[in-house]
Amino acid sequence: MIKISVTSLAIISSAAVLFTSCTAVSNNNNSPVVVTRPVIEPANSYNPYVTVDKSPLDISYYPVNYPTQLMNGNDSATLLARVIYSRPQKNGRTIFGNEAPPKCVQQYGTYWRLGANEATEIEFFKPVTIEGKKIARGRYIIYCIPFENKWTIVLNTNLFSWGLHPDTTKDLAKIDIPAEKTEKSIEYFTMVFQQSTTGAYLLMAWDNAKAVLPISF
Amino acid sequence: MKQFFAAVCALCFCIAVVNAQTKLPPVDKSPMDMSYYPNGYPVSKIQDKPTEPMMARVIFSRPQKNGRTIFGDLLEYGKVWRLGANEATEIEFFQNVKINNTKIKKGRYTMYCIPYADKWTIIINKETDTWGSFKYDTKKDVARIDVPVQKQTEITEAFVMAFDKSATGASLIIAWDDVKIIVPIVF
Repeated sequence: MIKISVTSLAIISSAAVLFTSCTAVSNNNNSPVVVTRPVIEPANSYNPYVTVDKSPLDISYYPVNYPTQLMNGNDSATLLARVIYSRPQKNGRTIFGNEAPPKCVQQYGTYWRLGANEATEIEFFKPVTIEGKKIARGRYIIYCIPFENKWTIVLNTNLFSWGLHPDTTKDLAKIDIPAEKTEKSIEYFTMVFQQSTTGAYLLMAWDNAKAVLPISF
Repeated sequence: MKQFFAAVCALCFCIAVVNAQTKLPPVDKSPMDMSYYPNGYPVSKIQDKPTEPMMARVIFSRPQKNGRTIFGDLLEYGKVWRLGANEATEIEFFQNVKINNTKIKKGRYTMYCIPYADKWTIIINKETDTWGSFKYDTKKDVARIDVPVQKQTEITEAFVMAFDKSATGASLIIAWDDVKIIVPIVF
């Protein structure tokens, strides 16, 4: 009997610890949070300069992992493209749908910055062709208008801008690509290059949707 | 039987392909971040009220202290450090600048540091898009500057780089754990 109560006490106290830590996270971010990973910044940590983003920045290269290839002595690899984007999380929300926020985070037919925070930046280190359109070597921002069955991907020249709304007068190319459903839900928005027979695919995926932009070098 | 074997092989191959396709990169333990001079430039740009043209941007990763002693322990004094984690830290100047009286042309560079107890040697290098400091090549240095280490009473958990206005241009503040340094950039 005593043994049982000790065990249940242990369960209760560990539940209390869990509850406390979750509460701390909720207070820190000021919104309900589904914790799927270690908390990036403890609530009590001192950070007087810049807090760590809820939607952290990330970078993808083509060739894939170009910097590590370079480090490993593969000098023959040529850098062709890189994308710098932020990684918002699903956090239990419905991301894509017909309804306006807050029911769906991203309503079909409306502008989406392909990430969070700053406009997503893509750079080509040589001229490329995307769906028959020639794109000069250089740096662009890239955004999307998602629909259920297709995504309209837009390259735009308004660099170094925050992603709240686009300056459409600076649109350079619009490309429609099919959108597919994924089997499993993807928690973190992801952009990653994959090799293709004519160059690379830029794969973009979040929640239950994914789309692939073919790029020819 | 042969057909069955072939079918099993094909199935295995399909599963392998599907797995390979669905394997997406996880989120970094040391997430990336960007800082601008002027501070928050992208927001002021879309509000049509930037006070100054964009001068600099730094892209860095943010490892966390996680209870460890960073300087002199996790990071050995006198050894080159990538100023962050993962890819080498990148700094871009959108106009010519001067650091320690060395002229640096507008463009993109990597940034490293050699930490000591009382000073850091900050290095600006030409080789971009590389990983860590493993391939760091002194021959590609464009500037070096020694800056004094300032001790902070409070601990900075996540490594940080941020710009601040200075009388001659901008200060690049770099802080982690109980240490802070300032790199003066002259425009």
